[in-house]
Amino acid sequence: MADIAHLEAHAAHDSAHDNHTPTGWRRWLYSTNHKDIGVMYLWFAVFTGIVGGLLSGVMRMELQEPGIQIFHGLASMVYGMDAASGEALDAGKHMYNVFTTAHALIMVFFVVMPATMGGFANYFAPLMIGAPDTAFPRINNIAFWLLPPAFILLLMSLFFEGTGPGALGFGGGWTVYPPLSTSGHPGPAMDFAILSLHVAGISSILGAINLITTIFNMRAPGMTLHKMPLFAWSVLVTAFLLLLALPVLAGAITMLLTDRNFGTSFFKPAEGGDPILFQHLFWFFGHPEVYIMILPGFGIISHIVSTFSRKPIFGYMAMAYAMVAIGFVGFVVWAHHMYTTGLSLDVQRYFVAATMVIAVPTGVKIFSWIATMWGGSITFKSPMLWAVGFIFLFTVGGVTGVVLANAGADRALHDTYYVVAHFHYVLSLGAVFSIFAAWYYWYPKMFGYMYNETLAAVHFWVMFVGVNLIFFPQHFLGLAGMPRRYIDYPDAFGFWNRISSVGYYITFVAMIVFFYATWEAFKRKRPAGDNPWGDGATTLEWTLSSPPPFHQFSTLPRIDSTKAH
Amino acid sequence: MAGIAKNHDYHMVEPSPWPFVGSVSVLIMAIGGIFWMHHWTPWVFFVGLVGVLYTMYAWWSDVIKEANNGHDHTAVVQMHHRYGMMLFIASEVMVFFGFFWAYFDGFFRLDDVEQYARVAATGGIWPPTGIELFDPFHLPLFNTLLLLTSGTTVTWAHHALLENDREGLKWGLALTIVLGAVFTCVQMIEYSEAGFSFAGNMYGATFFMATGLHGFHVLIGTIFLAVCLIRALRGDFTPERHLGFEFAAWYWHFVDVVWLFLFASIYVWGSWGVAIHH
Amino acid sequence: MVTGQFLRKIGAISAAAMALAPAFVMAQEQVAEQTGHPVYGQFHLQRAVTPIMDSIVSFHDGILLWTITLIVLFVLALLIWIMIRYNAKRNPVPAAFTHNTLVEVVWTVLPIVILIIIAIPSFGVLSDQLTTPDGQRKYLGSNIFSFGEVEVPAPELTIKATGQQWYWDYEYVDDGVSLTSIMLNEEDRAATKPGQPRLLAVDNELVVPVDTTVRLEVTADPTGVIHAFAVPSFGVKIDAVPGRLNETWFNVRETGIYYGQCSELCGKDHAFMPIAIRVVTKDEFATYMAAFKAGDYAAANATLVALQ
Repeated sequence: MADIAHLEAHAAHDSAHDNHTPTGWRRWLYSTNHKDIGVMYLWFAVFTGIVGGLLSGVMRMELQEPGIQIFHGLASMVYGMDAASGEALDAGKHMYNVFTTAHALIMVFFVVMPATMGGFANYFAPLMIGAPDTAFPRINNIAFWLLPPAFILLLMSLFFEGTGPGALGFGGGWTVYPPLSTSGHPGPAMDFAILSLHVAGISSILGAINLITTIFNMRAPGMTLHKMPLFAWSVLVTAFLLLLALPVLAGAITMLLTDRNFGTSFFKPAEGGDPILFQHLFWFFGHPEVYIMILPGFGIISHIVSTFSRKPIFGYMAMAYAMVAIGFVGFVVWAHHMYTTGLSLDVQRYFVAATMVIAVPTGVKIFSWIATMWGGSITFKSPMLWAVGFIFLFTVGGVTGVVLANAGADRALHDTYYVVAHFHYVLSLGAVFSIFAAWYYWYPKMFGYMYNETLAAVHFWVMFVGVNLIFFPQHFLGLAGMPRRYIDYPDAFGFWNRISSVGYYITFVAMIVFFYATWEAFKRKRPAGDNPWGDGATTLEWTLSSPPPFHQFSTLPRIDSTKAH
Repeated sequence: MAGIAKNHDYHMVEPSPWPFVGSVSVLIMAIGGIFWMHHWTPWVFFVGLVGVLYTMYAWWSDVIKEANNGHDHTAVVQMHHRYGMMLFIASEVMVFFGFFWAYFDGFFRLDDVEQYARVAATGGIWPPTGIELFDPFHLPLFNTLLLLTSGTTVTWAHHALLENDREGLKWGLALTIVLGAVFTCVQMIEYSEAGFSFAGNMYGATFFMATGLHGFHVLIGTIFLAVCLIRALRGDFTPERHLGFEFAAWYWHFVDVVWLFLFASIYVWGSWGVAIHH
Repeated sequence: MVTGQFLRKIGAISAAAMALAPAFVMAQEQVAEQTGHPVYGQFHLQRAVTPIMDSIVSFHDGILLWTITLIVLFVLALLIWIMIRYNAKRNPVPAAFTHNTLVEVVWTVLPIVILIIIAIPSFGVLSDQLTTPDGQRKYLGSNIFSFGEVEVPAPELTIKATGQQWYWDYEYVDDGVSLTSIMLNEEDRAATKPGQPRLLAVDNELVVPVDTTVRLEVTADPTGVIHAFAVPSFGVKIDAVPGRLNETWFNVRETGIYYGQCSELCGKDHAFMPIAIRVVTKDEFATYMAAFKAGDYAAANATLVALQ
């Protein structure tokens, strides 16, 4: 991307001055270093990812066969009830809902967002724009350190009363629709979930303020916004979405909290309130939220595709402004999540039209990635495998989004497994693939070691097969009418559910390969070198040592202002 | 890092305990809040609150020390702070956006026939059955004038500061704080005279949460200004360097503008053509 | 209309092509026969028995599925071609171009054109769903590129469905009678309705007449939570919200029994509050309703052929 005319002093080699690096636990707890904080975010996301992934594993085991096989047993272990009793069965049914809810909340707020906007954005946005750190290092640190408390609150929620005695945890879905989240769950579990979201939201808003300021105000001399690497662009757009969307969620869940505990009537119809109001507020946040999860991935994929094609990004300006457009339109399409709530015909027509518009900038991105590869000299190292996998799978997830955008078709598909398949294709196979792509792309830079390429490729192929096997059949289940969030289903849905569960086990194997590959890389300590990817990797982080010095760019790099990207 | 030669104007912040201490305090406060709401004990909440308040005090004390040490807050770092404050206010605006949305959901959609329970509860009329609205041109208008005046006094303080008129700065700030405090008192009097309750009806919920959230921001803004007054009395702020003061003023103007929206939409528009009980 | 027939043909060919996978052939045949509930291994929409579901099936199978499949295959083909042609071995020296105005305009404008083509029937299908028939308005049915060919009479019957935790209450609003419909547990199902599917069979089905437009009002217990009333083969899905009365409609052309399931998370037994609608001839319905109104629900049910 940005051509570096010259670095007045090679920042990579001033680490010799670095004799005041904090050590021990203080280095991490008191950190004001964007790279250390980024790494903490990444390990946090790895840990929460294991929790969220295991929750979905138990659900897939339950859904492997019609009938209830797992959860009444789990309930009997937790509550000490007789597993064969109706009590255990009821507790198990509730527990299943708690698992779906926790899986979603963890994956959204504690895995994808910390990994992309916390980990990679924190670590690499400053490096790519030639900044020595972020604008507000202490705010950066509190943004990270608020996440473990938020996660603890969410975990505590699992062990407090939800709907009543013998039904711990909140089981109303990540969308927390009232009245199920108010009168439907009178116990403290929901309050823990609400405050967990508040704390995670504050964390994200603070992180967003830090990143926007950093990107606007700390770009190296000569790096105009229109020369800025696309990952920094994606982070900038995402940070604005966070800044403007999360406060609306905070307001909405505050109303839930006061409805639950202080007698207000925002969502209570019998007192003049409106349960649908919550859905509007939630999705006004929730739709930008899905772009928050995927936009950083767009940025990551652009760099990887360019690096391994040894070719500059095709249509840089269109790529940057497509993200801006997606971010903007993302704020005016929220009610396409609410086609069945009884919205009027005109309102539904508007949201159909507005939603379909998003397909245009998204298409620009897909085709521009392909055009970047076109004519390139491509090596299929593991980051590139993940990137190409991302492009294909995101396309699949994107086109089913066009189907669902049509309220007329959504009538048949709303709240079915088709929706589950759609958003897992864009998130689980889109966002998560971009996270793994970034992991393998930047791993040598962050840790200074090279992983085993074969293991990384095996991880990719096994996971590619696994996740497709999980989620592709779910389209069929949705078309045939299987509703979401069901612990048990009519026997007719058994065939594709079984295949889907097999896909989970394959994905599980892939994750074991991932952890082994990571462990192996740390164990073998193969030095990666400053730039393992060759002359295709043109962004500033590759001019630094691997890992970069504790404080990089003590002398700011200068970007040649005459050359375009 | 003191030992590193840096050839740029960015502030490389020393490691700090406050973010971590603050996070732990937030966790304690959140858990305590739930214990309190479920009538177990309020004390855990207050322990957390003390931690949070102490974190704020200690953290911002550090920032003020850095501002005064002459080398950390360079021009570009000051620009960071301006961006940061503006973005923070932008996010605050979006919180109010949500509460205004809730209010207008009731205001505009009170007679939606498909919402039969709402229509039954409110009579489908505005104001909802059983709600006595405030006369907007009584205490609310007085409060509006108070806040507008306080906007001018804080601007007076700002101009005095720019011209190095320290007395003007102190008096301008002190007056603004007094006006803010009077506003809060008047708002409390108004609340005590409300013809509707906080709980049990949609109007009360939207009214009290929107104006109450604003009142909370008035309180924060007043404290922010008071901190600036203390700093001014101690000799902080110069005509060239006074970001802390400027941000307090921005925040105060933001609070002011939110009030104007509240006044216009909830008090005036909401009671337009409606019989008011005095 | 010619276009509609063309699309139907394409739909049929595509269905046939997909059915080539041997595992699905049986399921395909079953779908052709069985209506009202999913069949084992089913991978497409349930068979339509109302003009609304006809239009959804045409829209999805005839346009959307084709469009998205072609787009995905196109992207896949490009990716495969790139992997073959532009890998480092075949193409050691990369090109350096970063712009091509023509293709950029094409890949911006072409999607817009495709979206507009999708939008035309999309708005029609949507309008049909949300417009209760007045006897005059014509509905699209299968021919979604028409201006409306299917006549639908004005509603003759109003039914109010109320979602409870966790079962459905139905009220025949005009006749002033109501019933409660609860899922049969396995024991009872085996004893009374062994032929009905597990988790879908209920104690009391909602009975409606064939070829009659039914106005359906949907709500939930005012003190309860949100549910959603859905019957896939009718193309009906609408939320049951406490304090809110949502309205939709259906007109079924075949007698039989049609199942749906609650489609909004409503708590512990969300998966166990099915919807079962029994469509009978108009005469049967008249007899049934007369007996029901006389005050004896058991006698009313006895007028119908017993379900197996």
